[in-house]
Amino acid sequence: MSNLAILPILIPFIAGILLAFLNKHIPLVRSLAKIITVAQLLFVSWLCYLVYQSGSIILETGAWKAPYGIIIVADSLAMTLVLTTNIVAVACVFFAPVSLTEKQERFYFYPFFFLLITGVSGAFLTGDLFNLFVFFEVLLMASYGLIVLGNGKVQLRESLKYVLINVFSSMLFVTTIAFLYAIVGTVNMAQIAQRVQEVDQAGILTVIGILFFFVFATKAAIFPLYYWLPNPYIVPNPVVSALFGALLTKVGIYAILRTFTLIFVHDPNLTHTLFIYLAALTMIFGVIGALSTHNIKLIVAYNIIPAVGFMLMGIGLFTETSISGTLYYLVHDMIIKGSLFLIVGAIAYVAGTSDLRKMGGLIHHYPVLGWMLFIASLVLAGIPPFSGFIGKLLLLQGGVAQEELLIVITGLITSLLILFSMIRIFVKGFWGEKSDVLPTKPVKTAPFTWPIAFLLTFSVLLGLGAEWVYPSVQSMAEYLMNPDLYIESILKE
Amino acid sequence: MLTSVLLPFIAALFIPLISKWKEKVHTGIFVTLIPLAVFIYFIQFIGAGFEPVTREYSWIPSMNMNILFHLDGLSLLFLLLISGIGTLVAFYSIYYLHTSEQLGQFYVFFLLFMGSMLGVVLSDNVYVLYTFWEFTSLSSFLLIGFWNHRERSRYGALKSMLITVFGGLSLLGGLIFMQVITGTASIQGMIEQQELILNHEYFPMILTFLLLGAFTKSAQFPFHIWLPDAMEAPTPVSAYLHSATMVKAGLFLIARFSPMLTGSEWFFLFVSGFGIITLCWGSYMAVRQTDLKAILAFSTISQLGMIMAMLGFGTDMAIFAAVFHILNHATFKGSLFMVAGIVDHETGTRDIRNLGGLMTFLPITATLAVIASFSMAGVPLPFLNGFYSKELFFDASIHFNEGAQGAVAIMQSILPYLAVIGSIFTFVYSMYFFFGTFRGESNMDKLPKKPHEAPIGMLVAPAVLVLGVIVIGLFPELINQPFISHAADSIKAGDIDKSISFWHGIKLPLIMSLAVLAFGTILALSRPKWQGVYRILPGKLSLNSFYDGTVKRTETYSTAITNGYMNGSLARYVRLIIGAIIIVTFSIMAITGSFTISNEDLSALTAPEIFIALTMVIAAVGTIITNNRIAAILILGVVGYGLAILFVLYRAPDLALTQLIIETVTVALFLLAFYHMPQLEKKTETKRKKSLNLTIAIGFGALMSMIGISAHSSKAFDSISDYFLKTSHSLGGGDNVVNVILVDMRGLDTVLEITVLGIAAFAIYGLVRLRRHKDEEG
Repeated sequence: MSNLAILPILIPFIAGILLAFLNKHIPLVRSLAKIITVAQLLFVSWLCYLVYQSGSIILETGAWKAPYGIIIVADSLAMTLVLTTNIVAVACVFFAPVSLTEKQERFYFYPFFFLLITGVSGAFLTGDLFNLFVFFEVLLMASYGLIVLGNGKVQLRESLKYVLINVFSSMLFVTTIAFLYAIVGTVNMAQIAQRVQEVDQAGILTVIGILFFFVFATKAAIFPLYYWLPNPYIVPNPVVSALFGALLTKVGIYAILRTFTLIFVHDPNLTHTLFIYLAALTMIFGVIGALSTHNIKLIVAYNIIPAVGFMLMGIGLFTETSISGTLYYLVHDMIIKGSLFLIVGAIAYVAGTSDLRKMGGLIHHYPVLGWMLFIASLVLAGIPPFSGFIGKLLLLQGGVAQEELLIVITGLITSLLILFSMIRIFVKGFWGEKSDVLPTKPVKTAPFTWPIAFLLTFSVLLGLGAEWVYPSVQSMAEYLMNPDLYIESILKE
Repeated sequence: MLTSVLLPFIAALFIPLISKWKEKVHTGIFVTLIPLAVFIYFIQFIGAGFEPVTREYSWIPSMNMNILFHLDGLSLLFLLLISGIGTLVAFYSIYYLHTSEQLGQFYVFFLLFMGSMLGVVLSDNVYVLYTFWEFTSLSSFLLIGFWNHRERSRYGALKSMLITVFGGLSLLGGLIFMQVITGTASIQGMIEQQELILNHEYFPMILTFLLLGAFTKSAQFPFHIWLPDAMEAPTPVSAYLHSATMVKAGLFLIARFSPMLTGSEWFFLFVSGFGIITLCWGSYMAVRQTDLKAILAFSTISQLGMIMAMLGFGTDMAIFAAVFHILNHATFKGSLFMVAGIVDHETGTRDIRNLGGLMTFLPITATLAVIASFSMAGVPLPFLNGFYSKELFFDASIHFNEGAQGAVAIMQSILPYLAVIGSIFTFVYSMYFFFGTFRGESNMDKLPKKPHEAPIGMLVAPAVLVLGVIVIGLFPELINQPFISHAADSIKAGDIDKSISFWHGIKLPLIMSLAVLAFGTILALSRPKWQGVYRILPGKLSLNSFYDGTVKRTETYSTAITNGYMNGSLARYVRLIIGAIIIVTFSIMAITGSFTISNEDLSALTAPEIFIALTMVIAAVGTIITNNRIAAILILGVVGYGLAILFVLYRAPDLALTQLIIETVTVALFLLAFYHMPQLEKKTETKRKKSLNLTIAIGFGALMSMIGISAHSSKAFDSISDYFLKTSHSLGGGDNVVNVILVDMRGLDTVLEITVLGIAAFAIYGLVRLRRHKDEEG
């Protein structure tokens, strides 16, 4: 037991509250925000290293021992995701001043930003199902704050849909927790897992598991529950879109991953097989959406969905290889979605439009941006040797080994279509006559470039340097496939 | 060995720096040195005593992805082609590309391609091979799009990318299957376990995956359509990627896996079949073209088909001929592309209808062209290498393994005829290319520029290649033993008859060659008279319009489908979401048979409870029905107060209190806000929609009730709440357990929920203030 486990939640929590009261001093807030996120990243990296070296760090809050109190479980999975979250956060906090207006910064961008990070990190770290709900509320409320920031008409219309759908899923979440509590009499995840195991996941528990799946699937944007996603994600400022695209759906996927490798694991022929089909449909419909539009932001937003399909595929296949694939893909996708939203945000800014049909020849004015988009597209489509390939390869290997041909072929076709949807931006937006008139004056892109380059570096490293990462991912998958390890680490006695 | 593959990549990093001085020194001069160095490194392996070399470098060992290089005869042949022709092309490009072009980009792509191509032919690890494979497709995409201000260039680049990446992903599928089945990622390792793969139930699919990869890359019918459009690339690129090297990667792949696959009938049928069709179709279509490079593009397609067919034959002689022709084709086609580039450069056009009679103006170019094109036609002259491989091809097409039956036998009997037909058209387009450009009448007034001989530098590269044509033609044994036979050996081990000679005596292959010569001459001379045939075949049948249609349809259908359900209506989204939850969850409930009711630990119902519950139900329905907003809120309040009374009845006074306060505050707030809100509109929904909504609402309500009842009835464990009751005083220091839970036991939840409220407050404040700012500004 160590207090270290809660610091990744506590630091942004305090930062958020502190900065809310300094909101009039924008330069100070900016530099404080930068310093805190960078320091936090360093601290989290160290903590992550510590967890890899010597196992999970567990905190029983208020010294109420498990399974009675709320526990914070900094295991390797949670810490890896918290680390990735903080990487994205650093890029976003450096991108924010260039992209936001001063008013938006003053009206609490930074507090919302830090509280979003609090909620996301908490969701990864908590070992208590009700507490997970509470962290979901924190991150959702912060996201409501971020989505209306700027207060445009379209923004308010789209955010209303976003809020209502999420309120619905929160209600369903808390109701489902009550159902589960009625049967197993606890909200501690380890103890739930233990008790579900004892009754061999009696039928009603499978039904409740599926309800949980739907709660998380609504957040993760899985077919057929993703309708709410694309439009609300593109109306706010690019930096907010990047945070949403990188973090929010991933929290949903994480929750599915956790519950369906820890708790509801005793009837995989029913539940996990269902996931495989849903994964295939998610991939296809998502990428079809990406091909349906000429709005570059919408193209990226739709591309969130097939990626979620890939991750769900790994959970559905439910083997060590496929779970490693999901984990790899999860980390990869958080980073690449963050950078893609920043890239298209920057493109829309310099081109003065997000309509692809009105662009052309941008490469002559913004070569760096163009090449970053090109590389990011390759990463997203899973072209080797970048990060997307490693995850995809593991997932496909898992699929082949389980002889799930349908999903393997769907995955391959989806990759091609993802590449097509993205490369269109490059071909139509960046190639073309140099003389194409730009609607806005040339803009200095260096401040945009650095945060994006920072994220892309990780995409490249996760691919070329997979050897540094993969063994940890593999042992994480092994750990997830043995729920007893998690249960024992918490309920020792 | 790794250095030689990495060298181009490393050099590519420095090109942007070097290209800054391009006005002083042409960047191409530096670039030429790199393939030259690679060529010199690999040429040392040539010799009669060559043995395969294997090197392993660690990359991602834990995922079975090590850089494993296997240098055998086949890879050596390709390595020398890539680096040798690469040197010549880089040298040629110095004269072809003016320094005002974006040389930096061009040479970066060029080097990326070269490095990847070297990687493809050296890799023994399938995933490393795939990595390089995709990079050749990507660098090809970038090079085709080099002059991206042209619409055709962008179109061609995208087309080549979509088709080759499609093939690449298919290849990946096949490779993963083979790796999972055999448990090794090494090609040689897989070949050792060939029985396992050949007898596997998924073998037909694996073969399809591999062939799709190879056929798309090597532009086999019907995937050849990207190659003619790839001619938008600068000519050095066409000569290098789209004729000599990259398009041969598909052939390489087939050759590489041949030891494993040749036993299969499907392999023979598909590879020979598609190969021979490509040979015929490509050569037939070449005669129709008017752009010099388009003629050469279709010619390349057809020649690739011929080699593919030979690889499919799988006999000793065919394999030998295939390898031999890979080399020969690179020499004569490379030089012809450079000739086309010279003609374009010096006259300003590549349209054969405007060209003619250039022999007087470009005598050296014409000489090179005549040798190269006659070699391509397979004219029986002892100094043309094309003749030798053509003759071997004929020979192979009539000597198959005996005892074949069924489809294989039928295929074997028609192959010689198709081989001759394809070769006749090859002869025709070769003559058409040469005579149409260099002989006949000159139309000086139609040429944009006054033609004159190309600078010496531009002639060097094609001259070297033509020299190769002649040397191989005159002394075929010179390259046979030390070089070609090793390549053939690595495709098919065993005693391959490796003698090449000009005169075999009057046998069937010679008669076939003579037939080609005779019919070819007739058709070439009478070409204008039978041109009409193209209106019948292909006529309006066009694979290109099929491709265009598919791409367009992908977009339009996507738009149609997506707009079909993403109409922005929240009501519809909610209907779809809840509908899906109802269907799936009910199904799961039915499958697991988990609906249970037990009234064991239930207390008896009392009259007040029933009364209050009914009131709440009625009030809830009333909220929906009413059109008056104030009425709706007040009725909703009834539901809330009802709940509070229920709490009282169940002895939870603190909850009841909370509920009462919340309800009162909410209703009060709503009433305050009404002043600013528009009138509630009467809902105008169709009956059908209303009943759908009703069904979904009732369905969801039923679902939740049933799960709730079942959950209550299947209580399996004691609740942890007993612990709270026991320790509330001793550990928490309070007698009100709820309070202790809120502030201590689950204090974290409470802190966070307070935060949620705080965030909401700030968000609303921000919303209001920003609006006010806007109003003030506006």
